[in-house]
Amino acid sequence: MGRLRVLTAKELLQLVRDPVLLAFMVYLFTFNLVLQGTSVSLQLTSASFLVHDADRSMASRELLYRLRPPYYRLEGEVAHPQMGLRALDRGEAMLLLDIPPDFEEKLRRGETTSVQLLIDGTHTVSGFLAANYAARIVGEYGQEIAMAREGLPGQRVDSMPVILDDQRVWFNPNQKDTWFMPISELLEAITILAILLPAAALVREKERGTIEQLLVAPLTALQIMIPKVLGMTIVILAGVTISLFTVLIPVFDIPVRGSLPLFYGVTTLYVVANAGLGLFAATLARNLAQIGLLTLLIVAPIILLSGLWTPPEAMPAWLRTATLFSPLRHYIDASYGILLKGAGLSLLWDSVLALAAIGGAILAFGIWRLQRQIKS
Amino acid sequence: MKLRRVSAVARKEWQEILRDRLFFTLAFVVPAMLMLLFGYGLSLDVERVPFAIADYDRSATSRDYAYRFIDSRYFALQGYAKDDRELDPLLRDNKIRVAIVIPPDFESNLLAGRAARVQTLIDGTLPGRAATTKGYVSAINAAFNRERFAAQLARSRGLTLETARDLAEPIRLEVRYLYNQSLSSIHSLAPKLIMFILMFTPPLLTAVGVVREKESGSIYNIYASTVSRGEFLIGKLSPYVAISMGNVAILWLMAVMVFGAPFKGSLLFYLAASTLFVACTTAIGLLVSLIVKTQLAATIVTVILTMVPAIDFSGFLVPVESLTAEGQIEAHLFPAMYYTDVVVGIFLKDIGPSTLWPNLLVLTVYTAGLFVAGYALFRKRPRT
Repeated sequence: MGRLRVLTAKELLQLVRDPVLLAFMVYLFTFNLVLQGTSVSLQLTSASFLVHDADRSMASRELLYRLRPPYYRLEGEVAHPQMGLRALDRGEAMLLLDIPPDFEEKLRRGETTSVQLLIDGTHTVSGFLAANYAARIVGEYGQEIAMAREGLPGQRVDSMPVILDDQRVWFNPNQKDTWFMPISELLEAITILAILLPAAALVREKERGTIEQLLVAPLTALQIMIPKVLGMTIVILAGVTISLFTVLIPVFDIPVRGSLPLFYGVTTLYVVANAGLGLFAATLARNLAQIGLLTLLIVAPIILLSGLWTPPEAMPAWLRTATLFSPLRHYIDASYGILLKGAGLSLLWDSVLALAAIGGAILAFGIWRLQRQIKS
Repeated sequence: MKLRRVSAVARKEWQEILRDRLFFTLAFVVPAMLMLLFGYGLSLDVERVPFAIADYDRSATSRDYAYRFIDSRYFALQGYAKDDRELDPLLRDNKIRVAIVIPPDFESNLLAGRAARVQTLIDGTLPGRAATTKGYVSAINAAFNRERFAAQLARSRGLTLETARDLAEPIRLEVRYLYNQSLSSIHSLAPKLIMFILMFTPPLLTAVGVVREKESGSIYNIYASTVSRGEFLIGKLSPYVAISMGNVAILWLMAVMVFGAPFKGSLLFYLAASTLFVACTTAIGLLVSLIVKTQLAATIVTVILTMVPAIDFSGFLVPVESLTAEGQIEAHLFPAMYYTDVVVGIFLKDIGPSTLWPNLLVLTVYTAGLFVAGYALFRKRPRT
């Protein structure tokens, strides 16, 4: 027990003595989250559009008025569609709306007219959303006109046989990205550090040759390794605490709806699981340069398969199965569940169990590789 | 500055990289693997959203309505719920992301000519996905409404269903996607992936490579030698730029051959612009290496400094104009955004230096500034 304490303290001391590293870790857990939370939005916001309005009528102006902030931002009018296309080439606007000259006339005569929307397809997500919202806005406008033509009061939809959809967004009613982004960023930071730190702690000893001192000391392989995992887990949990109480809760008002001890428990499980991957990387590498690159190679698929960026449902079947082996996927389910949805162990037991199983397997594998290497 | 000394430093660095087999392999394998993984795996389309239905009405109309969701490729039915109390734990446990509640008087209201209310519960924890899902739900509802309206018109006015449909939808929106007609994620993603990978791998290689000498102490050989600061930096960095230029070519080949991304512009211009960008990001690595003392710190600092702008402030996933004011400032501070416009422009829009010169100018000035700063910060006599 005494050895464990001394060796863990040594790891922590070594980390603290690198002030640049320490400063950046604090940055990662605080300002970085603020930056992410306040500036990145995954929804359609201010999609810039140009209009070529050949009609210049009441009806066309009404349509333009409906394409309004926060979704759209009218950048200006162009005299000719070609000018608009050039602006799209230069990336000055994302959309070009082309209204034909007989727009109002045709509507008045009860005919069908069409407006064209040209979208810069290099932005796939926002391009899709921009088209989707525009279709809805134009459709609603058209339906109002159609109803008015039929002498039906367009405003009083209650008296029409239509579906009124009462949409409710749960857990994050205003769909605040300021809840989603900082949490996801925190989870990614934990992932990277939980692999990199223990791996680096081990390889550093190898690179400098101090591992020989540890090998001749009366310590087993486990006793060499546990302090490193323990030390780095303490550091990461401290970082998580700083994030929670200086950024996530006070700055972003993230409602911790579930139990914090459960969140810490799950986080510890996750960090230890990743440490197993770090130990495995440490057995492959001989110096820190290699560790840096190996970590990237390990982290990228974990994040990719986690479902943070790509919904697992939309992946091909084999990839969807593979996501079940990404520890981050289960950690995300659990942590969003606890922090935003107020889910408890009764609901999350399957995620926790999966995390424990994957983590246990990885850690056992990492330890086994290390023991074999140390003995030989 | 003597060319002989520069090449001696470069040769020594090259030897050292070559002899570290794993490092040398990883320097090429990591970018290629990232390209493969993200190219195949990173799909931004939202499809097969898992959902459940609570149908209190159990009528022909409500079933017809439900089937519009069940048949849609955007939704995947996980099952019917008896009542809305069953939906809550399903949403909480991520088993479903959307729930639709159809009230008991759904059909009778519609038949009586009144509006029928439907409730859609959407999981908002991932706001981007919630926004897209909302869009799908609204589109299905709008189509349903339009058809009922058309059917009613056809009945009351004795029109054919065809004419009634035209009457019910007087304005059509014709959407055309430029540069990427099928709006296929990978076509626009491939050039952006090149940017993403070239933004952080060259500085990582460089920073770790330079700090390694500091940490192991072999840099004192340089301090004590006749090699000047400029000679050392150029010689030291050129192998890393060379590796990254190899990656520029490999990534281009993968984008075009493996992912079938259209390449409309000039290859020569792509190579030239990418070399400039790689020099720029290598210089970021140099600067990091001069600030930190250990390789671990070099790794972490480089990853934070380059990966965050590459993902969030470059137009990779979110267009720069959709960022908030702070985000736009951040985006303009890093080279990633300028190169994104260039590489996407070359791949998808076939635009050349005549349109892109402002971006190239910024990148050139940026690179020069970084190198000057690196030169000024590098001291042959370290402060103690």
